[in-house]
Amino acid sequence: MQTTRAKYERLIGDLRTELRPQREWCEGRGLFLVIGHFVVGVAAGTWLFALLFESRAGLAAAFGLAALGGLAHLAFLGRPGRFWRMAAHWRTSWISRGFVGLALFLAGAALYLVALFAPGAPWAAGSWLAQTGYAAALAGMLVLMVYMGFVYTASKGVPFWTSPLHPALYIAYALRGGVAALAVALALGAASSATMEGLLLAWSGVTAAVIALFALEVHGALTGGNAAARRSVHELLAGRVALYFYCGTLALGILVPAWLAWQGLSGQLSLAALAALGLASALGDFFMKYATIRAGVLLPVWTPMAPQR
Amino acid sequence: MRRGMVIDLRRCTGCYGCQISCKAEHGTPPGVLFARVLKREEGRYPSMRLLFLPVLCNHCAEPPCVEACPTGASFKWEDGIVDIDQDKCVGCRSCMMACPYANRYLNDSPQNYFEQGATPFEAARTARHQTDVVMKCNFCRDRVRAGKPPACVANCPTAARTFGDLDDPASEVSRLIQERGGFPLHPEAGTRPSVFYLPP
Repeated sequence: MQTTRAKYERLIGDLRTELRPQREWCEGRGLFLVIGHFVVGVAAGTWLFALLFESRAGLAAAFGLAALGGLAHLAFLGRPGRFWRMAAHWRTSWISRGFVGLALFLAGAALYLVALFAPGAPWAAGSWLAQTGYAAALAGMLVLMVYMGFVYTASKGVPFWTSPLHPALYIAYALRGGVAALAVALALGAASSATMEGLLLAWSGVTAAVIALFALEVHGALTGGNAAARRSVHELLAGRVALYFYCGTLALGILVPAWLAWQGLSGQLSLAALAALGLASALGDFFMKYATIRAGVLLPVWTPMAPQR
Repeated sequence: MRRGMVIDLRRCTGCYGCQISCKAEHGTPPGVLFARVLKREEGRYPSMRLLFLPVLCNHCAEPPCVEACPTGASFKWEDGIVDIDQDKCVGCRSCMMACPYANRYLNDSPQNYFEQGATPFEAARTARHQTDVVMKCNFCRDRVRAGKPPACVANCPTAARTFGDLDDPASEVSRLIQERGGFPLHPEAGTRPSVFYLPP
């Protein structure tokens, strides 16, 4: 009862404030949504870079991550037993499209990976079934990369998220997460120096894109956004989530891996350092998403058009 | 037909009658307020005034919550009322994020108003609501279908609320909007709300 009362008092307090923070998608069970979005994005990026770098371990890791992301999404839902209903409104709902994409990816990747990893499987790697799985996984991967940003852009109640740059930023996050996860997967095996250099260059390029997109989004919110969008930026840079942003995103997610990448590109990088780069970068991405989501402030209901005498 | 409401801010005294009558009608649990009243003080002493803004679901003609809902649980009736099918809701809360008016609530756990447990009223009315799904105002659809006005309209002591058909130019709501310059909240969101306010 104490918990219920505390929750009730907090809601009443929130309703009294002019700029009310959103709590549904970051607190309590809402944390699973952040984890789910993060892991699924990394899975999609990992699948893409594993195909590009021809890494079987990366493909397996991508499948495992996507399955984990699906479980995290289920844990977030209030009524997980009804999850199958989420395929119903793919024509208008980005969450529904993401659900279809995830199902497509998991089914396709399973078909492709069984043929790849189990020589005695009923279908071979070059068979039409494996090729269909390859195509379905590729389509699912594209949906997974794209849908998350649009989920936030469609959230008209939180102006900071409705930036048109948000989908591009989430695609960039997915790519960065993919490079990071592949770096860890390759470090656990034996990456050649050429592969390592390719990965470090890819990481540097994608990270530069993420920084540029994020800076543009913040600039847009500060110059063209309303009071709620500006408050969100304030929460992110100097408010209740600033610690996650500076320590998690900037220090752990950008500075540490950037230093490691510089070391690797100017000399030799150990496999342990490559794994550390991947882990730090991925953790930084998680904190970035967590901080951005938690910084969300709902559009104030009281508008300038309301009671004026 | 498009059902809508007009709220006269000149008549509203901030008595919370709408909020209480809504709670009694729907038996909503603690923390769920289909209708609520916002208050704001303006000016400096001695030239101050207290402003009231009663808010509820705007039953938008182009509801972003319906678009965002992945299951079809959020839907619009043929008379324009936006409603939720509790049996279809998965509790993803995307509708809450999509609503620019923050008028949706997640009923995330069974709650009572008093520590002693559920009162007979709560056992009869509150317990029928499913938990872990989203709830919102439905313009008292059951009452409206029975030919009665929504509870907040019927119980407003100053008759600040008027309910009617926005598509009918001869209706009282259309006349009030036309004559008194009725305005919706956040028109820039492009949702075409069905709740209008008359300036004080």
